[in-house]
Parts: sequence; structure tokens; C-alpha cells
Amino acid sequence: MLKKSAANAAGLLLALFFLFPTYWMITSALKPKGSTITSDYDLIPFSVTFTNFITAWTKPGFLSALGNSLMVTLTAVLAAIIVGITAAVAMSRFAFRGRKSFVLLMLVAQMAPFEALLIPMFLMMRDLQLYEHLSSLVLVYFAVTLPFCAWTLRGFVNGIPVELEEAAMVDGCGRWGAFQKVTLPLLGPGLVATSVFAFITAWNEFLFAKVLIRSQDLETLPVWLSGFQTAFGTDWGGAMAASALFTVPALVFFLIVQRKMVAGVTAGAVKG
Amino acid sequence: MTAVKTTETAAPAGDITPPALPPAVTGGAPKRRHRGGAFDRALPYLLLAPALIAILWLIGFPVVSVFVTSFRQLNLGELVRGEIVWTGIDNYVTVLQDERFWTVTLRTVAFTIAVVGASVGTGLLIALLMRVLTPWVRIALQVAMLCAWAMPILASTTVYQWMFDQNYGILNKTLVQLGFDSFAGYSWFSSGTSTLSVVGLLIVWQAIPFLAFSLYAGLVGIPRDLYEAAGIDGATGWQTFRAVTWPEIRSLLMMVTFLSTLWDFKVFAQIWVFREGGPSGESTTLAVLQYLEGIAKSHFGVAAAISVLMMIILGLITFQYLRRLLQTEEGKI
Repeated sequence: MLKKSAANAAGLLLALFFLFPTYWMITSALKPKGSTITSDYDLIPFSVTFTNFITAWTKPGFLSALGNSLMVTLTAVLAAIIVGITAAVAMSRFAFRGRKSFVLLMLVAQMAPFEALLIPMFLMMRDLQLYEHLSSLVLVYFAVTLPFCAWTLRGFVNGIPVELEEAAMVDGCGRWGAFQKVTLPLLGPGLVATSVFAFITAWNEFLFAKVLIRSQDLETLPVWLSGFQTAFGTDWGGAMAASALFTVPALVFFLIVQRKMVAGVTAGAVKG
Repeated sequence: MTAVKTTETAAPAGDITPPALPPAVTGGAPKRRHRGGAFDRALPYLLLAPALIAILWLIGFPVVSVFVTSFRQLNLGELVRGEIVWTGIDNYVTVLQDERFWTVTLRTVAFTIAVVGASVGTGLLIALLMRVLTPWVRIALQVAMLCAWAMPILASTTVYQWMFDQNYGILNKTLVQLGFDSFAGYSWFSSGTSTLSVVGLLIVWQAIPFLAFSLYAGLVGIPRDLYEAAGIDGATGWQTFRAVTWPEIRSLLMMVTFLSTLWDFKVFAQIWVFREGGPSGESTTLAVLQYLEGIAKSHFGVAAAISVLMMIILGLITFQYLRRLLQTEEGKI
């Protein structure tokens, strides 16, 4: 019994350790101006205001950075999912020469240390006249997420019994019809999970966003936030509000996966 | 490594146009075919083509290109004039003779080992702890870890900068409250070691959730009766861990250690945002050095040589595991 309560106490302390930065981000963002930078001990906030959020939202560059980030990330993930799904179906549903090598290529490509390809990527984008264009980032993020998407989706396609497709084809569906009416709906939860992880990767990316884009109008959110001291000075409240706004999309997507994962388990019950 | 695989798969991809496939390798699939013929045989290749082209173009080509560039003298002048100047191994000689490169390499390896060890070790301990927690405490811990995991890297880096702020950071204020008066106005970023410790804490804090969740999933999958049997045999907690838990999660643990090594070796954003590799270059790692040489100083050839050396070092660290992983996966396909 004593052992159990000691474990629970440790668990709660750890929960505090993991939660604290989020707590501190939100409370600092909600504090009124002037009471963020103070020598008073202010672990628990007493007054709440949203002015910091308004300051961050209206800071020059924030909205365009948010728009750029969303545009680049969503385009790259959509492309990676579409190309990934076709490759996944080919790898899992067809027997053909070179299949094994291709599957291994996907596995290895996933582990490619992209950061070490910074110089050739920079030179390549320059040659393609894409330097200082958001499309260069779309291409890089597409390349970074594609092997992962193809590999993970292959696992999800493998999990759908091929007999279901065959039954649909016996009933008169073409190959495309069987895919569209049987495989694709069952793949739903897997698709959501894969795209969320791809989204997080691209949403977080900093190095290429910094190197391939120099002009301020085209900055993505991570780069904009890294230079927050130019925008906010020592206005930590504003910086925390901006960080919180940057966190929201990622957190929402994480929560979606949590729910869809449960839905995925229920969908799996159909198999039985 | 990628380059090798690329050339291997390039050959079958060339087979797309002639529909004549050797009959030996077709396996069970043709029996399922409803409309036979050239289109059906080409279909898998058509489906793979976009992914294959993208990977060869956007990963394969840069991998080849980084090697080629590392043998060229390529500074801003050559780049603008479009000149190609081959210098053999000069870039490597420059890099390897530079004492700073060895310091940075050593620092990067030590940093990676420390961060991977701390995050995998703590992740395993938390996964083990989660099994014995009361459900509501477990859920609280999981929600808290999810918050840490979901926070974008740049957001968490900004928050940590604020928490570790010299004058108004909550950490220093708390330490002063606790009676450690010397921490009033203490700078956590006055030395490289201290800066890297804060960066390391940030990385470990954000890496643990993934590790704890995966390892916990592995632990939950261990059959109950194995523990019951150990209990009947009168095994102690440690003996049970050694005999039952460890063999069951060893391969999973190896897998996540391998992945963590890949991720932590090349960390750039957190280190750069804190102090741009400073003070006076003391928190510079290989990823930062590559950026400084290549992008900041426009010495693309030298930077490419650093990139190649980075890949070689990472390859040396992970080679054994990677080989075994590829062998097992090849068996499964």
C-alpha cells in the first residue's frame, strides 16, 4: 500500500514536471502587461487579460507567418499522403519484381539525416530558381515526410484483409471501385494518424525554413518565433501568447489522433 | 547508405516500359487478376512511380550531390560565376586539420549519448511506473506528457528561454525563494556546458513522452501469466524484471534507442535559438558547424565535407543496429 502511494506521488510529480512549461506559457500569456517582468514571486496568477494574445496576433509578420506555415505544411502533407498511399497499395497489394528493394528503400529513406543534406538542397533549390519561394519548402517537407507516410500506410493497408477487396471485385467492382469503396474507408483512421505525424514534422521544421527563405513576408512561424526578440523585445507575455497560438494547431491535431485511434480500434472490430 | 539502395532499385524501375516480366517472381498476385494484360502488369510500377521519382530526385540526388560538392571548391564567387573547381580532398584536409572540428565532433557525440541515455532511461522508468499507478494518476501523467509532446519545438524553446531567463525567469526566482540567493541574476547561458545542459533538458523533456508511450505499449503487451509464473516461483521484483520484462521489451528498447540517436545527433533548432552555438562557439555541434560554415560563411564545399563526415559518424554509431534491422525487415517483407 505504501509502495503504491509512493508510486502515485512520483507519478503526480512527473505530471507536474511535464505540465509546468505549458502551464507557465499560458499563465504568462494571460498576465497583464507590466506584471510579467517582475521580481515578485508570481507562480499563481491573480488577474487575467487577453491583451497579450491581441498583441501577438497583430504583431507585424505573425499572420503572414501563420498563413505561410499552414500553406506549406498542408500542401506538403497532402502531397505526401497521396503519393504515399499509391506507393503503399503497390507495396502491399501487388507482387512484382523489385518490391523488396523498394520497401527497404522506403525504410532507409525514412532515416536519411536530412539536416546533412542542407547544402545540396540549398544549391538545388537555387538552381531550380526556387530559392526564396515557399514551394522549395513544400518540396523539402514533402520529401521528408513521404518515406514515413508510405511506410506507415503500407502497414495500415497490410492490416486490411485482401479478401474484402476480392469480395467487392467478385461483386462487380473494378480494382479502383474496390479500393475506393472498401480499402479507402477502412484506411481512414490510419490516414488521419499518418497525416498528423507528417503535419507535426513539417510544422516544427526550422533549419530549412531558415535557410531557404530569407524574406520576412515568406517566413514560417518557427523562424518568425525564433526572432521574437526583434518583434517583442523583452515582452515575454507577448512571446508566450505567440507560442501558445503556435501550439494550438499542433495540439488540436494531436487530440484528433487520440480520438480517431479509438475509432480505429472500433473499425478493426468489423474484421472479426 | 541511401545511395546504395537507390541504385539497386533503379534497375527494376526501368522495367516499367517493357511489359515482359520474368515469370519466376510474380508470386500469387496474377491469380487474382481480373483483367490480364500489359496494363495490369505495369500497374504496380505506375503506382510506385511518383514516390520513386520523388525519392530519387529529392533524396537520392542530394545524397550524391553532397559527396560531389565535398570535392569542389565552392564559395560565393564560384557559385555566382557558375565555375566548377575540383580540389580533390582539400576540403577534408581543411576540416580534419581544424582542431575545432574534433572538439565539436567529440561534443556532439557526448551530447547525443547523454541525451539519448537520459531520455531512454527515464522513458523506460516512467513506462514501468505507469503500470503500477492508480488509473486517474496514470491518465493525469499521460495528459501532461501529451502536452509536452505536442508543443512545437520553437514554442517550447521560447518557453524554456523564458523560464531560464537571467533576471525574471521563474527558475531563478524559485531558487532564490528556496534560499539559494546566489541564483539571483544567475545566467544559465554563460558557458557551453551549462547552455547544452539546458538544451539537453529541453530535448529530454520533449523526447520522453514518445519513449514512455511506446515502451508502455510494449510492457502492456507482455502476457500476464509470465508474471504469475514468476510470482509462483518466488522471484523478486528485480529478478522478474530481468527474467520476464527485459527479454520481452529488449528489441523495442533497441529500436527506440536507435531512433533517438538518429534524431538527437542532428539537433539544430534548439541549440541555434538559445545562443547560436555560443558563448564563443562552446555549444556548437556538428549540425550548427555545418550551418555556420555553409550558410553563414558560404563555404559550400567545406560544409559539404562536414555533412559527409556527419553522415559517416552517424553511420558508424548506428551501423550495427541498422544492419540487423534491415535483415529482420527483409525477412518480414
